[in-house]
Amino acid sequence: MAVLQIKNLTKQFGSFTAVNNISFDLKEGEILGLLGPNGAGKTTTIQMLLGITTPNSGSIRYFDKDFSTNRQECLRTINYTSAFNALQGRTTVWENLIVFANLYLVDDPKKKILKLVDYFEIKNLLNSQYKHLSSGEKTRVNFIKALLNDPKVILMDEPTASLDPDIADKTLSLIEQIKQDNKISILYTSHNMNEIDRICDRVIFLSNGKIVAEDTPINLTKKIETTTLRLTFDKGKEIIEKYLTENKQEFEFSKDNIVIIKTKEKLVPKIIFGISSEGIWMTDIEIQKPTLEDVFLQISRSK
Amino acid sequence: MSWKRIKAIMLHEFFITKRSLEVINDIIIFPLLSIIIFGFLTNYLSGTTGLIISKQVLIGMILWQVINMTEYSIAVGCLWDVWARNLTNIFISPISNLEYLIAYTISGCVKSLIVLLFGGIISFYFFGTNLLDLGIINLIIYFVNLAFFGFGFAIVILGLIFRFGTNVQALSWGLIAVLQPLMAVIYPVSILPKPLQMMAYLLPPTYVFEAARANVIDKGIQWQLILMAFFLNFIFIFLAITFFNFMFNQSKKTGQFARLEG
Repeated sequence: MAVLQIKNLTKQFGSFTAVNNISFDLKEGEILGLLGPNGAGKTTTIQMLLGITTPNSGSIRYFDKDFSTNRQECLRTINYTSAFNALQGRTTVWENLIVFANLYLVDDPKKKILKLVDYFEIKNLLNSQYKHLSSGEKTRVNFIKALLNDPKVILMDEPTASLDPDIADKTLSLIEQIKQDNKISILYTSHNMNEIDRICDRVIFLSNGKIVAEDTPINLTKKIETTTLRLTFDKGKEIIEKYLTENKQEFEFSKDNIVIIKTKEKLVPKIIFGISSEGIWMTDIEIQKPTLEDVFLQISRSK
Repeated sequence: MSWKRIKAIMLHEFFITKRSLEVINDIIIFPLLSIIIFGFLTNYLSGTTGLIISKQVLIGMILWQVINMTEYSIAVGCLWDVWARNLTNIFISPISNLEYLIAYTISGCVKSLIVLLFGGIISFYFFGTNLLDLGIINLIIYFVNLAFFGFGFAIVILGLIFRFGTNVQALSWGLIAVLQPLMAVIYPVSILPKPLQMMAYLLPPTYVFEAARANVIDKGIQWQLILMAFFLNFIFIFLAITFFNFMFNQSKKTGQFARLEG
């Protein structure tokens, strides 16, 4: 069942089309990644889904209700978190959360906040001013704010941007935990392909405001056939060069004893076996399969 | 409409205010200092112009704080969230524009009452001018009219900020001061040059200040002036709300609202 349905959504700023007639669904319990280079239309899409930017045409439906005519009802069931927004810095974590709990008409706000701060292990920060928190702590507080109303859908706009790798990793674990514990659907934008690969069930690629690819991360990477094979060998550079040339492989020697071969995935065993049969002693074999980042680069550069 | 959401915004503003020295300065210290300065000035002038005019000047200055506080509370209150990059979080919650504005208006009225209370005490004990001499009913009528105008003016400024961004944020604390001379706060309208008098009579507070000055001499209600003030205020509020809604919608169409936080 789709919790969010977007049909023919278009947004133009003057003569510039930021989002060009896109349609997609977000299914119940799914994490859907929205990817694309800068200016692809990701943030504009999120802004329209939150109601802070008005689309030129198209429809947005949450739980089969039209967003434009049921704004308050829809907003009660969704929430949002982003690295680019913050809570009020001058007030404490508790003060911020109690305000938002009341804005979302949460029953027993104190109990709800205490439950969430326990879950995110930040009870000790309740009386700290938000502006004095570290980036990781702020991210946790933002997540608590986004969970206060028990949302069915959360829109996340680059929630790990500006976090160090350790905190970003913990944040991703939190998102995985939130999804598992609360059966929430998440629309997730990021520039970090590893993140998308790790947490998203499905990915949509946007480029110049249009959807250019849509599939699971694994299926998307399968669309790129080239695999990189990196072989380290003892001696016999000339023999390897001759073998690869005869077999019409694309290759280069990064060092005298290291060769990098770009080939189809299915040919990898044949090449390794072939070189080995020539009497070459390989000390290291590294196979780099295509990643989501390769897909991203291919799509971005093809436009 | 939800009272709980209105209360949430009022609570939010209270939390910001209690932790912000600059806000306390703007809403308490600066208005009271203005009243004290004008108190001394009226003491000085009472020797040459007489006690009545001195009282009129001081009462005008105290009443002016109602417009100032209401306008400041709504316009600058919103800016605190723009500066904190928190405005999006508030506007993607299920709060309506009306609930948001009502919350800030109530908060502005509370602040105005506090200033009025302390200003009244200072003017009574230190400068011999009793605000209650105007009559409680008159005072309430003046307060409502001035707060109405402050609210209307603030949402016009908010509309401009939403539409054109923080480039025009200075209007929220500066523009009202430009109108102050036209409203004849501390002097009669007749002092103004003729063309400015015509402009002055388009502004609802002008009638309130005229009525208050007349009240210092005669304690009766100046119905003609008061009704005119109410009439113009209703027109002004209607136009201000229409303008705000138009600017707010334009801001969402152009994407400016989402860009407000930089």
